[in-house]
Amino acid sequence: MAAQTLILIEHDRRQVKRPSLHAVTAAQQLGGDYAFLLLGKGLEEMAKSLTGHGATAVLVADDAALAEPLADRYATVIANAFQKTGATTLLATSSTFSKDILPRAAALLDAPMLTDVVAIEEKEGALSYQRPVSAGSMLATVQLKGDKRVLTIRAAAFAAPEGNATASRVENLAVDTASLPNGMQFVSREERVSDRPDLTEARVVIGGGRPLKDKETFDRLVGGLADSLGGAIGATRAAVDTGLAPNDCQIGQTGKVIAPELYIALGISGAIQHLAGIKDSRVIVAINKDPDAPIFQMATYGLVGDLHQLVPQLIESIRKG
Amino acid sequence: MTQPIAKILVAFKSVPDPYEEAAPGGSGSTAKSVINPFDEIAIEEALRIRERGEATEIVGLTIGPATVDEQVRAAMAMGVDRAIRIDDSRALDPYAVARILHAAVQKEAPQVVLMGKQAVDDDSNQAGQMLAGLLGWPQATFVSKVEFLDNGDRARCTRETDAGLEVLEVKLPAIITTDLRLNEPRYVSLPGLMKARKKPIEVLTCEQLGVQVEPLTTTISTARPPKRTAGTRVESVEELVAKLKEEAKVL
Amino acid sequence: MDFAWSDQQRELLDAVGRFAREQLDYDVIENDRKAIFNHEAWRKCGDFGIQGLLVPTEYGGLGQDPLTTVAVLERLGYACKDNGLLFSINAHMWTAVSPLVNNGTEAQKQKFLPGLCNGTLIGGNAMSEPNSGSDAFALATTATKTGDKYILNGSKIFITNGPVADLLVVFANVDKSRGADGVTAFIVEKGMPGFDPSHKIEKMGVRTSPMSEVFFENCEVPAENLLGKEGGGAFLFTRSLTWERGCILASAVGSMQRLLEKCIRYANERRQGGQSIGKFQQVATKIVEMKMRVESARHMLYHFGWVAGHRKAVYLEAAMTKLHIADAWVKCAEDAIQIHGGYGYMTEYEVERELRDAIGAKLYSGTSEIQRNIIASLIGL
Repeated sequence: MAAQTLILIEHDRRQVKRPSLHAVTAAQQLGGDYAFLLLGKGLEEMAKSLTGHGATAVLVADDAALAEPLADRYATVIANAFQKTGATTLLATSSTFSKDILPRAAALLDAPMLTDVVAIEEKEGALSYQRPVSAGSMLATVQLKGDKRVLTIRAAAFAAPEGNATASRVENLAVDTASLPNGMQFVSREERVSDRPDLTEARVVIGGGRPLKDKETFDRLVGGLADSLGGAIGATRAAVDTGLAPNDCQIGQTGKVIAPELYIALGISGAIQHLAGIKDSRVIVAINKDPDAPIFQMATYGLVGDLHQLVPQLIESIRKG
Repeated sequence: MTQPIAKILVAFKSVPDPYEEAAPGGSGSTAKSVINPFDEIAIEEALRIRERGEATEIVGLTIGPATVDEQVRAAMAMGVDRAIRIDDSRALDPYAVARILHAAVQKEAPQVVLMGKQAVDDDSNQAGQMLAGLLGWPQATFVSKVEFLDNGDRARCTRETDAGLEVLEVKLPAIITTDLRLNEPRYVSLPGLMKARKKPIEVLTCEQLGVQVEPLTTTISTARPPKRTAGTRVESVEELVAKLKEEAKVL
Repeated sequence: MDFAWSDQQRELLDAVGRFAREQLDYDVIENDRKAIFNHEAWRKCGDFGIQGLLVPTEYGGLGQDPLTTVAVLERLGYACKDNGLLFSINAHMWTAVSPLVNNGTEAQKQKFLPGLCNGTLIGGNAMSEPNSGSDAFALATTATKTGDKYILNGSKIFITNGPVADLLVVFANVDKSRGADGVTAFIVEKGMPGFDPSHKIEKMGVRTSPMSEVFFENCEVPAENLLGKEGGGAFLFTRSLTWERGCILASAVGSMQRLLEKCIRYANERRQGGQSIGKFQQVATKIVEMKMRVESARHMLYHFGWVAGHRKAVYLEAAMTKLHIADAWVKCAEDAIQIHGGYGYMTEYEVERELRDAIGAKLYSGTSEIQRNIIASLIGL
């Protein structure tokens, strides 16, 4: 079960989250072989779904004690697996899941860690990593000391991996439940069920800001435009804070980072914290009544005017084809 | 809750004022520093817990040279009871920070450590979790609500995750890292600031704490990423749709 | 000569900048249209420490010097677009708080200053009358002493904060035959019988600062509310007016800085004929002139603050500072509209309001003409 890189896979208890697999591309850039690590309860189907991506093994820790992603237990199991495989890199795609657990594992492994890596390059025989800092206004190039490292990568910066014909073996990891920490307890979760595509995977995203005033208007304009294009909805921090949209819609420095083909910003002035989350979109459209709004300085197309008039027109125009 | 938590430690970092950077054209003034906004939320939460009678003492802790005393005073002006600065002017990485905090937490023995989920300069989102790992304490990250249960033996925390909300219970002592919507921090008032100038700041060194750290990450360079430039202004919805179809080909 | 702020001043000013940015940067368009005073913002400013800047700490203030005070007010003006709120705060500080600090009895200070500092009380003064403006001491309002009370009769006009004030420093004549020597100041409190401050006046600018006409009909004021001595009103008024002149436009300097930055942004962003309009000399010149006005206004303001902290007689500096900043503010606002073109004329873009707010500065606390008269006489003409 040896591998140089151990990739922690995230899932939603039903299926593997696709952005998780983007870490494969990063592992390939790092060089050497890689194994997947899957933790949870009832993982058989998901483990099978991972066998076609060129991993030396799919390591599965399937145990009732791991049914919920509790950081203390997960970090312990991950650190043990890392040591067992003799890996040098622990890798995952950035998410609240990986950011919760991997730093803890890094501390257990006495290893340095970098979050949100967007590029890996070799300079003078040493690996260096690029990651955005200060809400993406700067890009830092960082090197690491020591022979171990923990990394999370931005899914938008590494392509989805191509399939690999060589089937990986699925191996079960024994979990010594008695030795696991027991200080954290899962109580409940509240997740939104939506027919719309996932924000981080959607081809089209419509973002809304506070000028949408109330939830009804937000749903009608942002939701309406998203549905006419088969897109996902996103929001600024201010819009989430004022209850126009749920927290998992927040895009930006502390929310989600997206890179869709088309991003349409409605009533978004363009705070640097928000721009940090959308700047990798291929086409950005901004509709705002304020001609001075900073978002116009990075929008591919800008339209100055009243949302309440323009957005219904736009929806109508798209529906007509 | 009958038995208040004896001590909450709030760890905070000084960061360049993110709004200065964000101001288009800039104000032209020299770079100002502020308490990392997420840490400020942690301070506010600690103060609210104390004001509810659920905690007795709030200790602020930061790492940095004497220039960060201004932020230490701001924390005391908000209402932190006393403050410790660990004097270190090196560029520390999150793991080094976590190890220093580890030593300080062992010295102070708080029941709860509150800190921001990330610092807005470095955006790492690691130090709290690493500290929890080093201490072997439970952790609750990305927290948007905290309640104490069972006489302060446990904390029930709501976390903001990518998928929505999650509720956890952690046994104390524990590390809690704060997210945006936990609270809205109070402002530092001028009378508070003037009172804070009279409170002493305890200055310690890593040596005094008996901890030796070397950062394992080195920043080789920082550069502005390629900037997106402003594209075209369109005058109407028709023109916009035409551009999206014919020029950008996304519709 | 040292132009540097001390560490303590810098820390204070940073805190002010942040407070104003986070707590006072609210939407003003609607409040301006409907002439709504923002009580909540007033209370926040009090809680934060603004109203008590100059008041000694034993009365709930911060005991700051005049230079720090004007710099703080400038920071407020930069971040807070509600010029009316700031005008109300200034009126409160210079026409109610400052006379109380300088002339109040110990009992009066203990009673009123803590509330005036922390935002729970709102003050103002009542001097101008329908028939006396620039000739300030020709008062028709009278005060007649009866036992341990004074009975006030008359009316006052253009009373800033009138409709919301908890107390006004009212000037009335105890003996018309003595002319200016009969002018006396009283602290008139809300609810005193015969005191009616409710007749609101609509105005062109600083519309979020409430103003009214005030009537005294056999208004009974207890003798303990006499401020200073009988006949001491003219001196008291002149002294507080001098402070008022020097400081009242501190926030205007911040407001000008905000306008300047807005114009620079717009001139870089707006393109005509293939280039940004800032590249056109006519536009660039206007903005350069604006920059010069802001800087000279700031220098005069800080100089006034410094002088006022070091000596008593500051009549000349106060008049010059007031005159210069008022003219500069109006010109800046006018140019800002011109630079923004048609957009600048539209309410939504929040430039036209600045002009409406600025114009009053040439009228209140002594018109620009009066300031010129004062300067002329003080330089020996």
